[in-house]
Amino acid sequence: MTAEVPGERPRAPSGGDLAGLLAKVARGDDAAFAGVYDQFATTVYGIVRRVVRDPAQSEEVTQEVLLEVWRTASRFDPGEGSARGWLMTLAHRRAVDRVRSAQASAEREARATVAATDYDVVADEVETRLDAQRVRRCLDALTELQRESVTLAYYGGYTYREVAALLGVAVGTVKTRMRDGLIRLRDCLGAES
Amino acid sequence: MRLSRIDPHTLAGAYALDALGESDRERFEHHLGGCESCKAEAASLRDAAGRLADVTAAAPPPRLRGQVLAEAARTRQQPPPVRVAQRVRRSWHGVGWPAAPRLAVAIAGVGILVALALGTLLINDQHRLHMDEAQRGQIAAILNAPDADIMTVPAHPHGSATVVMSHAARALVLTTARLPALPSNKCYQVWLMGTHRIRSAGRLPSPKQGMTAPMIVAGLAAGDRMGVTVEPAGGARRPSSPPVLMLDLPAD
Repeated sequence: MTAEVPGERPRAPSGGDLAGLLAKVARGDDAAFAGVYDQFATTVYGIVRRVVRDPAQSEEVTQEVLLEVWRTASRFDPGEGSARGWLMTLAHRRAVDRVRSAQASAEREARATVAATDYDVVADEVETRLDAQRVRRCLDALTELQRESVTLAYYGGYTYREVAALLGVAVGTVKTRMRDGLIRLRDCLGAES
Repeated sequence: MRLSRIDPHTLAGAYALDALGESDRERFEHHLGGCESCKAEAASLRDAAGRLADVTAAAPPPRLRGQVLAEAARTRQQPPPVRVAQRVRRSWHGVGWPAAPRLAVAIAGVGILVALALGTLLINDQHRLHMDEAQRGQIAAILNAPDADIMTVPAHPHGSATVVMSHAARALVLTTARLPALPSNKCYQVWLMGTHRIRSAGRLPSPKQGMTAPMIVAGLAAGDRMGVTVEPAGGARRPSSPPVLMLDLPAD
């Protein structure tokens, strides 16, 4: 993590020009694809690593995600949400699919103990970034149950039923907390950016 | 849109967080297919969820960049979505087979679900390897037919089938996703059911990563319905179990 400092590259904006890059990637522009890599590889690898944990597997999944971007850039539809959201959905879903298909229950339990609370530990591995600060501030604005529900699902890769079991609350409660929490997060991030 | 007892709207958060199990996810996506405001909410929540990755950024090993770029250079890209005639069909509900599960059918618009479903038809490299040039040509011809209809139908108890049908070619391309896995002595068999007779269209290929390779079903006749049943591994002469999915094929 020292050889190539991500901060020296153009910092990923909120995705405003990712849509433009994707349009070029769809036409086979490999320089644009390298641009996508340079702007987003740290974000993709970071979340994959966070969910999958194992570095070698995380590298594999990251490669799969980015190649999927290359292959399917023509399928990105700006009418269906932001480019960044599209990319992060690919990444997160692949990561989650990997842990759900592969993992034994013992492994899951081990992850359960760390998933909820240490979302900011990883962030300290890279330079503190404005975006990360903003997200953390907005996460802190959630109720505890909203925050736990959202972070266990997103960073831990758990289903809402599993989250309910981990937190010892009703499944219905977790569902609504996830939705309310994301709505609050969305509004908070929207208001700040 | 059947979402057994669960109000689908409450699942929007869990969906955005990828926190739904497979069957819940499929049901929710079917629900989305018919609800514009839900789609908009889902997109905004997914964007918000994606921002959570800002906190976890971490540099991958430097070698990964070269690997990814080199791999991309030898990977074929998907074509843009096929322009498909947007024809809303009327006759989607009839499922007349005895004991057939009642299935909700979503006609997908040119939305992300269709893009994803269609994408799976062509991209899977492993599938591609097992297809010869002629097959690929046939598939491309159906997908690109000016009269092609896309249909997505949920399967019972979970999974879905996506069909692209060309009337002019009297043929369709069928692919499935996340059907229940079968023991080795069973297979999925595809049937065409006309008004007078039922004929086998062959067995579904075995799935790779939950998806079956595109299968061509030719020789369609007006009024045919397509069904899929679970049969002994060698295939059966006649369907012997209730269909896991049924689809009325558009008549003209």
